[in-house]
Amino acid sequence: MAAAVNRLSQNLILVLLGGAVLRISAFSTTYLNYVKPGFRPFLIGAGAVLLVLGLTGLVQAWRAKEGAGDGHAPAGGPPAGGNGHDDPAGDGGGRGQGHGHGHGHGGPRIAWLMCLPVFAIFLIAPPALGSFAAARSDDPPPRRSQALTAFTPLDGKGPVDMKISEFIARAWDDEKKSLTGRTVRLTGFAVPSRKPGRWYLTRMQLACCAADAFPLKVLVKGVEAPPADTWVEVTGTWIPPTFEKMPNGAVHPELSATGLVEIDAPAEPYED
Amino acid sequence: MGIMSRIHTGPRQWTDEDDSLPPDSWGRAPSVRRALPWGFVLVVALLVVGRFALAPHLASPALQTWATIFVAICVQALPFLVFGVALSAAITAFVPASFWTRALPRRPAAAVPVAGMAGAVLPGCECASVPVASGLMARGVTPAAALAFLLASPAINPIVLVATAVAFPGQPLMVAARFGASLVVAVLVGWLWLRFGRSDWLRIPSRPHGEGSKLAVFGDAMRHDLLHAGGFLIVGGLAAATLNVLVPREWLTAVAQVPWLAVLVMALLAVLLSICSEADAFVAASMTAFSPTAKLAFLVVGPMVDLKLIALQVGTFGRAFAARFVPLTFVLAVAVSALSGWLLL
Repeated sequence: MAAAVNRLSQNLILVLLGGAVLRISAFSTTYLNYVKPGFRPFLIGAGAVLLVLGLTGLVQAWRAKEGAGDGHAPAGGPPAGGNGHDDPAGDGGGRGQGHGHGHGHGGPRIAWLMCLPVFAIFLIAPPALGSFAAARSDDPPPRRSQALTAFTPLDGKGPVDMKISEFIARAWDDEKKSLTGRTVRLTGFAVPSRKPGRWYLTRMQLACCAADAFPLKVLVKGVEAPPADTWVEVTGTWIPPTFEKMPNGAVHPELSATGLVEIDAPAEPYED
Repeated sequence: MGIMSRIHTGPRQWTDEDDSLPPDSWGRAPSVRRALPWGFVLVVALLVVGRFALAPHLASPALQTWATIFVAICVQALPFLVFGVALSAAITAFVPASFWTRALPRRPAAAVPVAGMAGAVLPGCECASVPVASGLMARGVTPAAALAFLLASPAINPIVLVATAVAFPGQPLMVAARFGASLVVAVLVGWLWLRFGRSDWLRIPSRPHGEGSKLAVFGDAMRHDLLHAGGFLIVGGLAAATLNVLVPREWLTAVAQVPWLAVLVMALLAVLLSICSEADAFVAASMTAFSPTAKLAFLVVGPMVDLKLIALQVGTFGRAFAARFVPLTFVLAVAVSALSGWLLL
C-alpha cells in the first residue's frame, strides 16, 4: 500500500471515487444522509468530472504504451510510467523534481487516501445521523433571527403537522402562545435521555452538511419510550414551561403526548 | 457501477499492455510489468471481500456517526475541489507566461498589492500556487509580488469565497472577514519581504517547461492537483470526524472558551491538517464549539501555512527561504485574523 501511485492506479482511483460519488448522488438518494438536497447537481457534476478525467487518463496511458512501439513516446509515456515505480519513494520523487514541478507522474502516496471515502461508502454505508450524534451535543440550537417575527395563528381543526424547529420556536418565542391547547403532530426519531424513563423526539438540522448538524429536541411525556433511533409520529399538546426566565444550560420544550405511531425513516432525514 | 467499470478496465489494460509490448523495448518490459496497479488490485479485493465479510460487523453507532461525518465533509467539499482544480489547471494551461509580466506594474511596491488582488480573480489551488509563483519569479516578476500572489490566490479566490458562504449560511461577515484578513496578510508579507528580504535567501527555480498539447497539459495539471489536494482533504475529513466523535465535548468547550487559546489551537490545527482552501470552510464549520474568530484564524492560516505547503516551499524555494517566510506568515496571519475577528465577527 505504501508504494507510489503509478499512472494507472492514479486514474483508477479517480474512476473509483467518481463512481462512488455518482452512486450516492445520481443513482440513489443516499447523499441526503450527508448534504442538503440542493447539492445534488454539484455532486453529480463532480462525480462525472472525476470519472471522465480518470477514463481519459487511462486511455492516454494505454495509448502512450502503444505509441512507444513506434519509437516515439508522447508526453506521459512509458518513461514517465517508469518514474513512478523505479523510485519507490514516489512522493519524494514527485517533490524532488518540484523545481520544475507538475510533471512528476509518480503520484503522491497520499492519493491512496482517496480510496477511504469509497471504503466508507461501500463498507460502512453511513446512515443519517441518529441518536448517538444527537445525544452527544446538548447545546441548544442557534437561535434564528426570524424566530422574532410574528407567528401565523394556527387555524383549522385537528392535529397540526409541524416541524420540530417550528414547534421549538413557537414554544419559546411566540408572545401570543399560539401552541396553547393545540394538538400538534411531530415527526422525528427517539433519543433516550440520560435521566431514566424520559426521551426526546429529535430531528437533526444541517447548517451546511452532516458535519455541522445539530439536534432539535422535544421532551415527550405520557407515552412509553420507543427504542432509540425509531422513527415515530407523536401527537400531543405543548406543556407551557413553569419557569419565568429561561434557565441556563440546555432546555427543551415539553410535549404531553397522546398518540405515537411508528413510521419508516423519511427519505430526507434532516429538517430544513 | 464504479465496480463494474473497474473490473472491465482492469483486465483489458493488462492484455493490451502484453500485446503491445514491442520487440525493441525488451529492457523496459520488467518495469512495465511492475507498473501494473497492484496497490489498486489490493484495494478492489479489500472492497469486494469487505463488502461480504466486514460490512455486517461495522455497525457500532460511534463508527457509523464517524463515517457519516467523514463522508459528509468529503462529499460536501469535493465539488468545490474539482471546480477549483479545473479552473487553476485551465490557467496553467491556457494563460501564456508573458501575460503576467505585462499585467503587473513595474514598481515593486505597487506590484505587491496588485498581485495580491489578482489572487481574488484567479483561482489557484494551494498546491498549484507554489509552482505558479515560482514560474512568475522565473519570468521576471518581483519575488515579493509573486509571494503576495502565492499567499492570496488560494485564500481569496471566488471559489473559496463561495465555499465559505455555503459553509457559513447567513454569516456574510465571515466571508468578508476571510477576504479582508487574507488579503491584508498577503500584502503585508509581500511588502515586508520587499523591504527586508534578501535575494540570497530565495532560490529562484528555472522555468518549468510545458509539454504536449494544451489539452493534455490541462488534464495532467488537473489530475496532478486533484491527487495531491484530494489526499489532504481526506486527512482533514478524518481529523475533523475523529475530533467530532472521539474527543469529549467538554474538552472542546473548555478549550474553546479561552479566546486566545481557541484561536491558537485552531491556527495550529490548520497547519497540521493541510486542507485545501476550497474545502477547509466545511471543516471549520464543523467545529461548532469554537468561536467565529477562532474559525476565521483557521480559514486565514490554512491556505497560507500548512505542512504540505511548507514541504512544497522548502522543495521549491529552499530551506533558507522557508525558515523565514513560514514563521513570518504564520504570526501575521494569526494576528490579523484575531484583530479582524474582534472587529467584524
